[in-house]
Amino acid sequence: MQSKSVYKVPNGKLLKIFLDYDSKNKLITNIHITGDFFAYPEESIDVMEKKLKDTLLTKKNLLEKINSVVKKYKIEFIGLDAEALVEGILRCME
Amino acid sequence: MKEQWRLLKTEDNSAYTNMAIDKAVMVSCSRGKVPPTVRFYTWKPPAISIGYFQSLNEEVDLDACKSLGVEFVRRITGGGAVFHDKELTYSIIISESNPKVPKNILESYRRICGAVIKGLKHLWIESKYSPINDIIVNNKKISGSAQTRKSKTVLQHGTVLMDVDIDKMFKLLKVPNEKIKDKLIADVKQRVTSIKHISDNNVSFNETSDAMKIGFEEEFNIELVNDNLTKEEISLTKKFERECFSTTEWNYRR
Repeated sequence: MQSKSVYKVPNGKLLKIFLDYDSKNKLITNIHITGDFFAYPEESIDVMEKKLKDTLLTKKNLLEKINSVVKKYKIEFIGLDAEALVEGILRCME
Repeated sequence: MKEQWRLLKTEDNSAYTNMAIDKAVMVSCSRGKVPPTVRFYTWKPPAISIGYFQSLNEEVDLDACKSLGVEFVRRITGGGAVFHDKELTYSIIISESNPKVPKNILESYRRICGAVIKGLKHLWIESKYSPINDIIVNNKKISGSAQTRKSKTVLQHGTVLMDVDIDKMFKLLKVPNEKIKDKLIADVKQRVTSIKHISDNNVSFNETSDAMKIGFEEEFNIELVNDNLTKEEISLTKKFERECFSTTEWNYRR
């Protein structure tokens, strides 16, 4: 199933998520994280998108996965954070 | 004696060339081949640049770009879509190890924007920094910036609006909701300004760049020395233009 969300991060930037997911098993099959936010290093978001594949679409699982990538690649967000990213992804399912 | 940095003035380049020059200077600086560099430039034809993370199709009306003769390019920096028309664009490229630029990213935005604010002062315009990446005059945006860091080198580029055509901008940029487009345009007209709107006369690129030059010199306590791209930078520019910024793969990657 394909879905899109547009989420204005409180005190932050505009996040647009394009999500393909397995609606039966609630697993991410493909994701594009877009928007006018800043993330350093930029290439880490490409890694984030790959790592999120096959992640269960629950708040807990998404936050764990995102935080682990943030920690591993020392990602610094401006206008976005891990919680907002989870919120944007989950809004695709509303 | 003051530290000497390089000043490049490269007017009227295409969108691909402009983004390729910034990247070429960044690579050259990271290799220790050139000193910290400030560049002032313009775009010919006018162009839209989108942020590294933005979706081109989502943000830009490509048919409108074609019919209005406007180019488009993806930047290597994050942030939002910008319509580059009647403006001075600046870039600053400097090693992360240079103590004149704070290590902290947000603090470095403030510091570099400080140079633009001082430059505007030399055009009799009082402005202030508006975090994260804007400069405002009477609560209206006159400048926006975006920064990246690669190979221990900082690149920040940004706009200084000399004039602005919001109606044309909205012909080129897509809005999330067409039904409220008129209201959105009215809102943006209230929130954006330019040197021309404030000073009520046309200020040329050269006058603006002269003021910005002083602004950067004052903020960083340095001397800017006019120079040109090196042979290596020209070669890198051509390479990045050909292999990156002009390609479908790069511009449509999101």
